[in-house]
Amino acid sequence: VKALDLKIDELASPEYAPVVNRAEKRIEEAIIYALVSERLQKDEIEILSFPIAVMMTAAAKDPFLKRRYALAEAKRAYNLLKLENKEKIMEIAKVFNWKIKPSERQKAPTETATYDFALGFVDFLRNTANFREKKWKLVNRLVHKGHVYLTKDEAARLIAEEIRVHIEKKLDVKGLALPENIVKRVSVLKQLFSRQRGKIRLEEMPKEVVIAAFPPCIKELYNAILSGRHSSHVGRFALTSFLLNIGMTVDNVVDLFRTLSDFNERMTRYQVEHIAGGKGSRTKYIPPKCETLRTHGVCPGMDEICRKIRHPLSYYRRKLRILKTKAPVASGA
Amino acid sequence: MTKIETKAFIQAKFGEYYEKNSTNIQPPSSMEKREFGFLLLKERIMLRHKSFKTPQELRDSLKRLIPSNAYYSSAYYERPEEEMEEKGWLGADLIFDIDADHIPTPCAKAHDTWTCTNCKTTGRGTPPEKCPTCNEQKFEEKAWPCEVCLESAKEETIKLIDMLTKDLGLSTKEMSLGFSGHRGYHLHVESKEILTLDSIGRKEIVDYIVGIGLEPQLHGLCRIVGPNLDDFGWRGRIARGTYEYLLSATPKQLEKIGLRKGTIQSLSKHKERILESWKYKGPWAMIRGVGLESWSKIVEQAVKKQAAKIDTVVTTDVHRLIRLTNTLHGKTGLKKTEVPITAIEEFDPLKSAVAFPHDTATIFVSEAPKFRIGNEFHGPYRNEKVELPMAAALFLLCKGAAKIAEEGSSVR
Repeated sequence: VKALDLKIDELASPEYAPVVNRAEKRIEEAIIYALVSERLQKDEIEILSFPIAVMMTAAAKDPFLKRRYALAEAKRAYNLLKLENKEKIMEIAKVFNWKIKPSERQKAPTETATYDFALGFVDFLRNTANFREKKWKLVNRLVHKGHVYLTKDEAARLIAEEIRVHIEKKLDVKGLALPENIVKRVSVLKQLFSRQRGKIRLEEMPKEVVIAAFPPCIKELYNAILSGRHSSHVGRFALTSFLLNIGMTVDNVVDLFRTLSDFNERMTRYQVEHIAGGKGSRTKYIPPKCETLRTHGVCPGMDEICRKIRHPLSYYRRKLRILKTKAPVASGA
Repeated sequence: MTKIETKAFIQAKFGEYYEKNSTNIQPPSSMEKREFGFLLLKERIMLRHKSFKTPQELRDSLKRLIPSNAYYSSAYYERPEEEMEEKGWLGADLIFDIDADHIPTPCAKAHDTWTCTNCKTTGRGTPPEKCPTCNEQKFEEKAWPCEVCLESAKEETIKLIDMLTKDLGLSTKEMSLGFSGHRGYHLHVESKEILTLDSIGRKEIVDYIVGIGLEPQLHGLCRIVGPNLDDFGWRGRIARGTYEYLLSATPKQLEKIGLRKGTIQSLSKHKERILESWKYKGPWAMIRGVGLESWSKIVEQAVKKQAAKIDTVVTTDVHRLIRLTNTLHGKTGLKKTEVPITAIEEFDPLKSAVAFPHDTATIFVSEAPKFRIGNEFHGPYRNEKVELPMAAALFLLCKGAAKIAEEGSSVR
């Protein structure tokens, strides 16, 4: 924006309406879908709208909205980066001063993937601090002479994380004076965000699955599956949607069903993906509420927490909080 | 003789040491940005948040205070003298502590003792969870820096350095290694790149070194193939560890890790073929009756063998205080000694760390196992008066295993 010598006041003029519109849309998409779309019809609008969206988000002064927006932009970047070639990825990584080089290693006989890059391990550690998956642990990587070997997709994922942190920092600017019409748009976006808050809370559940916090119904279903016992259709749906909502990956859920005698990988994957909101339907399902589960005979009987809630996911959230506050006492004993 | 006189004797000797040797005490790099701390011998209190501008200031303080232990921070601060929150953290060196306490050695039972602080019940080896007499959980532990323990600490150190250089690409030029003066080694890495790495990132380094959270599948172990001996990183370490483990493991040990009888038989029947297989693709898929589950159990042992047993807390703590080189260890009277990394194999801690090479002292020893200081072996002793070289005498006095026996201990 500075380079184009754009004055903040000019944003009010009709000339910039398409840019401001797109900026608004970016934030809206972040709020609703947690993902900014990749439409790239007009480069200038796309490029200019980004810093304006950043200013608008910063002006909203809501830490949760900031976090969500940064994440949504990072996801957009990831989706675009995945399509770029290796040279471009290298170029972008260098913008962030990464110690990165193309991997000169060929695919070894015991390796499952071909590596495209070797990244300095400190850059790797800085950008994986928020990742929970086992494959991102340093101990599970091929590390040699200070470099961590990565596929192109993995490199794109790490750059996206760098971008997320970068945007979050930018969103901390204070003392912005925006023209009135933009201030108005910001307050409309804030209202949208507060309406979406409940749904977002579900989405942003901690990524680590805490079995100890499962409600009795889910615990029962989970144990049944683990020991190869069959459960009803409603039961399977409840379990699958519950696990996906508390952050389990599609792969892990599919693996869970593997012990069943009639396991069919293709079918199971299709169904799990559907519930996750991937295949065809864009909706991510949430588990049925307690009342419905009771109707279908899935509820094994209530415990103390059950009496205070109406939904298995609320149970999980509540129990997590309890476990968290109790943890230090338990470990001290 | 009383406890107080023993303490005064130690203090006098430590004082002499700092008078004579203070010029050998080299401050760490960027000393003005570091915090220093001293445990005072007489008062048993910790003086923290000290800072010095010049080596001379530091040396003068050591001479004046005569601390039982002297430390400096691995961290660099804008204002090292302020309270923790106000210091202004700028970064920290990467440090590793390898202590025999974290390595189970067969000799611990022979020389380590514990005393319940409540009812004074004593026992050998590592203390139990609860005192068998009074159920209290606080113990005073007495651990000996014996040769076996120190040797195993050295082996772990060698493994650590191997991983840091080969895998993480750190140069030995960025490292300094020291014998702590008691039961272990400190490895100190000063690297610009790592300087500002937070504790989460350092925890990942720790997990790498100790093999915590390692998933063999992510290193290529599956039903048909597995890692190979000359692979890089943990992949190769898994293969080499598996090779060594299978070479040395007895059927009993294999049973202990949960392998079935049939599996163990197959493994021993095909021992030759397994050894041979490493020339090609390894033994992973070739032995009938040894499946992925069994290999996973074997790999788990291989990982344990290859990992270096470091103190996980020290490395992740970015405010840690570390003992200053060439200062004395209050539990032994030995000095923290610089170890040349290239000559670590030949390094003899019990000889190099002797701080009092002259004179003798006569002491009354309540109990001590056989031990070595310098070239000489001493003990075992039990309730007896002995005249010992000064370093050995101070060692027992500092350990609390002896009292000073007469005033004019002979001075040459």
